[in-house]
Amino acid sequence: MSGKLNVDGLNAWYGRQQVLYDLTLDLPESGVTAVIGPSGCGKTTFLRCLNRLHDELPGARVDGRVLLDGTDVRRLEATEVRARIGMVFQKPTPFSHMSIYENVAAGPRLLGLHRREDLDRAVWASLVRAGLWEEVRDDVDALGTSLSGGQQQRLCIARAIAVEPEVLLMDEPCSALDPIATAKVERLIAELKERYTIVIVTHNLPQARRVSDRTAFFYLGKVVEFDRTSAVFDHPKEALTENYVQGRFG
Amino acid sequence: MTATQSPADCTEAPPYDPAGRPPTPAGRQSDRRLRLVGLNRIGRAFHGLAIATAAGVVALLGAVVLVLLEASGGSSARTGPAFLVGQTWDPVHNVYGALPAISGTIATSGLALLFAVPVAIGVAIFLTEFVPRRLREPIAALVDLSAAVPSVVWGFWAILVVAPFVGHSVEPVLARWTGGAGPFARPPTGFDVLSASVVLAIMVLPTISAISRSALGAVPRSQREAALSLGATRSEAAWLSVLRPARSGIVAGILLGFGRAAGEAVIVVGLIGNVYALPTSLFAQGQTIAGEILNDLNSGLPPERSALVELGLLLLVVTVLVQLAARGIVRWAEASRPRFGSDRSGRATRILREFGSGGLPPDPGPGAPAAPGRRPHPRTRPGHRRIVRRARGIAAVALTGAATTLALLPLVSVLGTAISFGGVAAVHPSFYTSELPAACPAIAQASCPIGGIGPAIQGTLLLVGLASLVAVPVGILAGVYLSEYGRGRGTSIVRLAADLLVGIPSVLIGLFVVVVLLQGAPALDNTALAGALALGVLMVPIVTRATEEALKAVPQAAREAALALGFPRHRATIRVVLPSARYGLITGIFLAVARAGGETAAVVLTAFGSPYWFAGLNHPVSSLTLVIFEQGSQSSYSNWQADAWGAALVLLVLMLGVSVAARLMARGATRPDPEA
Repeated sequence: MSGKLNVDGLNAWYGRQQVLYDLTLDLPESGVTAVIGPSGCGKTTFLRCLNRLHDELPGARVDGRVLLDGTDVRRLEATEVRARIGMVFQKPTPFSHMSIYENVAAGPRLLGLHRREDLDRAVWASLVRAGLWEEVRDDVDALGTSLSGGQQQRLCIARAIAVEPEVLLMDEPCSALDPIATAKVERLIAELKERYTIVIVTHNLPQARRVSDRTAFFYLGKVVEFDRTSAVFDHPKEALTENYVQGRFG
Repeated sequence: MTATQSPADCTEAPPYDPAGRPPTPAGRQSDRRLRLVGLNRIGRAFHGLAIATAAGVVALLGAVVLVLLEASGGSSARTGPAFLVGQTWDPVHNVYGALPAISGTIATSGLALLFAVPVAIGVAIFLTEFVPRRLREPIAALVDLSAAVPSVVWGFWAILVVAPFVGHSVEPVLARWTGGAGPFARPPTGFDVLSASVVLAIMVLPTISAISRSALGAVPRSQREAALSLGATRSEAAWLSVLRPARSGIVAGILLGFGRAAGEAVIVVGLIGNVYALPTSLFAQGQTIAGEILNDLNSGLPPERSALVELGLLLLVVTVLVQLAARGIVRWAEASRPRFGSDRSGRATRILREFGSGGLPPDPGPGAPAAPGRRPHPRTRPGHRRIVRRARGIAAVALTGAATTLALLPLVSVLGTAISFGGVAAVHPSFYTSELPAACPAIAQASCPIGGIGPAIQGTLLLVGLASLVAVPVGILAGVYLSEYGRGRGTSIVRLAADLLVGIPSVLIGLFVVVVLLQGAPALDNTALAGALALGVLMVPIVTRATEEALKAVPQAAREAALALGFPRHRATIRVVLPSARYGLITGIFLAVARAGGETAAVVLTAFGSPYWFAGLNHPVSSLTLVIFEQGSQSSYSNWQADAWGAALVLLVLMLGVSVAARLMARGATRPDPEA
């Protein structure tokens, strides 16, 4: 079995309603995987199963295996899984009462990094890598929520990578952002993919095409097609995929 | 608005006439115009009525303050500022000093908070963060039920259960450990500052935990998930993302809890020992402001009464200030978005800027060796931190779970005690229809006649019914003003007045009514009418605020839809808004009725109590709470005790029933509208 994350026969439910049906895919170590599909097809649930955040919802149930480097994430502790698989949400979620610095330092602190110099270095490096440093260098003690929406989203990316994860999950990270902020985040994704395995859920088909190397098309909780992005968009094997990527439904 | 519109626009389409009359445009137009003129007149009248009642609520608060201020004049003129530091209360020589009562109030409420706050916050955290979803609602409902137990029942229960336990099991141990030094001096008795504080803590705990819980619950789920996604455990996520934003709400809850503890009279009178002296030790007897008023007002002569009113004024000032502070804290936290996080020094900015100019490589690149001096990433370090984090998580769940268990114990105990002591009496049908029995010494137990609480049930129904008759319409109108007509400054003044009135201790409302009646109609003091008046004053602000909240929950779209159909505002309110808010309205009225039915201090001061059936509005009257308060302390007569416990059981069943019904109703109100 190759790849960073191997999903094997994954089913997921909210209460009695099943949202994912027997998913099987292997996400390679390098590059960006985009997950596309119409609303309600289970993209976000899929993402949340990967870092076991789905488990936290009341009435949620999962069955099947998600292997991280060959180990089932359900046999690891949830905290370890989530430290190794970072996540960025649809709406920016900086901790509302924390400064920019404290937001980024929160993750490393959880993991036991308490020496000031180490923290300073980790925060600074993460801000630089998230492309936010130049914009906040004059006041990292300002509240995280005082930033603009696009900056907040990059702050959340900085916060996620400060934990040094191996995988980065992004759940429609640009859907709440304007085009300029979106362009910045997309550029950032292109840089980050050198270092992290990235899985991005997006509604924006041109964006999937621009940023991803591979694309999975989900429909009604199943994977219809999973291939190189250019193949999915230009030579889809399935008629369903073709209709979707050409904007004929969804 | 509608009247100025030309009705001609409407007649171009074939008009719809439900009565099937032929369309005669001219006649219809004049009909419509007349009807609209009439409607507008009613609308203006309704609006005026709403404004007048709302102004009445403000006037009520003003009256409470001014009447107490005026009636305390005699005392303050005689004693002056020395009142605040005087240590004796001597009606024979007319020497009055407030210091023992002030310090007793501060000591008992402060201690009560010390006991209640950690438990209450623990309960709130356990319920919002840790407990499985399925158990959350039932446990929360049980904790909230404790808030429905009337203070006189807590007090009665505590005399039997808490005081002996504290006096025999807790205090001797404390005294032995500390060698009886300082605050642990004096022989333990169980009827002292410590006991009173413990029971006050039990009483305020559900209030504080409910407010804390709603503050914690208001933090969006996304904040918790953000913390979890960084690898936080649940308890770390609560600590990171929930506790700090909820801090202002929790502090407000604590302040309101302090206000309630400071104003509680019945519990204090039952447990503190009623000695007017400085509380020099936890085991010392003492007195509080509220307790002193409840004890002495009915028997006091005018000079002492004036001094008691001055005491009451002090309590009023304290409770009003506490409430203003609670509002201020929440408002301040909402309005001032602080520019800084917790580290205000700007240290991080300075240091990190040095990094930036020093040009350290930001990214060693994948697979690059760690920089010299850089410790390996903590995640790669083996084990012990993981164990520590896990242990901390378990400890957090265990501690908050223990707090929740502890918080539920008093309710279980009070129910169990009431059933075992009062159950025998309560199963007799005659218990509900006959008068109290003749006093019967404990030795003769077996042959003692079993009495009943008929007059008390009658009195409670009468008092609460009369009070509701006036308070419910007034409260609803004032609430309608706040939600439907109010704008700007006037509204916030009415709302503030209602909130402050809700928070004024009931013993002060009783005092207010007594003072007013003694000046205006002395014959009406200590009558059913006075009691109903006091309960009405208690109920009005509760109904007002509950109505406002219920009406505000009605979506704006419903109002606009009615207005767009040409409904005048008052009709939209009566036909659309009030009916849609019915569940919330009924819930609010239920809670106000329960509050009045469980009230003791104000009723003791105004309705006085009586062993007989209702004899007229200008006579004293009995009530369930009065029976418990009066007979409960006559421990030598066992059949009176049994009667009082029977009354407590009946009252508990009523209060808990109302509370459960209100809860179900509130749930019914929220269910049909998942969008809101």
